[in-house]
Amino acid sequence: MTTVPKVRVASLVKRFGRGPQAVTAIDGIDLHVATGELVCIVGASGCGKSTLLNIVGGLETLTTGDVEIDGEPVIGPGPDRGMVFQSYSLYPWKTVAENVAFGLECAKVPRKLRAPRVAELLDIMALTEFADRLPGELSGGMRQRVAIARALAPEPDVLLLDEPFGALDAQTKKAMQDFLLTVWQRTDSTILMVTHDVEESIYLSQRIYVLTSRPGRVGSIIEVPFGRNRGPTIKRDPRFLDLRDEIEDLLLTPADRDDTNQT
Amino acid sequence: MISTSSGGGRGRRQSTLLGLRQELPRSYRWAATFGGVLAIVALWGLASTVWATGTSFSVPTFASTWDALVEMENDGTLFTDLAASLQRVVIGYGLALAFGVAIGVLMGSFGSATAFLEPQVGFLRYIPASALTPLFLIWMGIDETPKVALIIAGTIFYVILMTADVVRAVPMALINAAYTLGAGRLTIIRRVIMPHSWPGIIDVARINLAAAWLMLVVAELLAAQDGLAFRIIRAQRFRAIDRMFALLLIFGLLGLASDLFLRWLRKRSAPWAEQS
Repeated sequence: MTTVPKVRVASLVKRFGRGPQAVTAIDGIDLHVATGELVCIVGASGCGKSTLLNIVGGLETLTTGDVEIDGEPVIGPGPDRGMVFQSYSLYPWKTVAENVAFGLECAKVPRKLRAPRVAELLDIMALTEFADRLPGELSGGMRQRVAIARALAPEPDVLLLDEPFGALDAQTKKAMQDFLLTVWQRTDSTILMVTHDVEESIYLSQRIYVLTSRPGRVGSIIEVPFGRNRGPTIKRDPRFLDLRDEIEDLLLTPADRDDTNQT
Repeated sequence: MISTSSGGGRGRRQSTLLGLRQELPRSYRWAATFGGVLAIVALWGLASTVWATGTSFSVPTFASTWDALVEMENDGTLFTDLAASLQRVVIGYGLALAFGVAIGVLMGSFGSATAFLEPQVGFLRYIPASALTPLFLIWMGIDETPKVALIIAGTIFYVILMTADVVRAVPMALINAAYTLGAGRLTIIRRVIMPHSWPGIIDVARINLAAAWLMLVVAELLAAQDGLAFRIIRAQRFRAIDRMFALLLIFGLLGLASDLFLRWLRKRSAPWAEQS
């Protein structure tokens, strides 16, 4: 018996519009994420990577193909697939703790059981002392930690991250990447993450799907040769640097290649 | 080279009093506000001496305006008029807000509600509500009902459309985040759309309050036995310009007070919307 992957995407096609005006954003993508894996989707803008993630999240519909979680087709959004967006999307009128508790409230978890779960997540995210602050009072990195805690609270089967660190400055981004690694190692989450940052994808994930642009297709699948318990030292590993060059080369558009040839 | 220095340093010194979009120091702000009030009082004082009473174009002095106010207070009309007018506005505008906000939230939230209601609302709001007065008087008699109905007719359509716009301004990302956290549509309306729209809805209430008072005046001018605007019409018969001034002052103060109240309410109930 073959094991059913946590996330399975097969022959996914997404077209916007109808008739001759229709634009194919995604043209036949296959991918899978096993339980406990951290997988990245990398691509230049316009490759449909965010659309792909939204379809897995159930926020957008697919045109043809299959998207399944534990073998069941995705028909809409649900708390089994927690999402984190680049724009944080926190509720500005709710405190940090209330934001994190929102998913538990929706699941009708009694108040008494909510509090310890929220406290635990705030502790993991190093946010305990900010529990009663409003998101407007926090820095970008802290807001994104709140968003991750909020997505983790209902104990989703899969965590979907849409360029979560794209709006952060370089130092904060590094810290958040280490943070995500720790969270992944501590919580055994299954994570599917979209990014355009090549180094980020190698540093964090076990497998990388490199998408080509217009229409979005899987250009290549790269297995990252580092184990689960990794740290910043792998960034100096020659295999890391080779992978980075390889993926960056894959991401060059034909036009970029022409430029490179001329010089 | 263009000279950028006029001695004593480089650049243009920022002005404290006239800095573009600069926060004014507290003392300056109070001084400017006080100066503004003083200026209008001085103009009034000047006007009342230039156009003294006796001619048809006359401006009453503060003293005679104050006397007229005290006189109305003493004979009890001020209180009954104020109560009658306030009651009409509170009931009429209150109903317009209750139904207008509910319909506006529906229209802002659901495309189907917009498609169903937009033609009617778009058509009805262009009928000047004051033109409905004769019709309402025939239909509803001359008691309180047509006055309340006029206030509703003059405000509800704007409340609906402006509320719908406020709701449409709720970022889709906040709604999507709620979906992925397991919230249903009703929960999203109650727990995401309403709280996010609340400060905007208070602003809608503030803006349309002026129209509610306008419709009150229209209603009271045509058929009323009491009310602030009715009292102004009565004053016209006696050429009591000082009384008119006193009543107009009351209108202005009522408007100012309700505006300040709603602003305070916004700040109090949605402090998160004040920054940025």
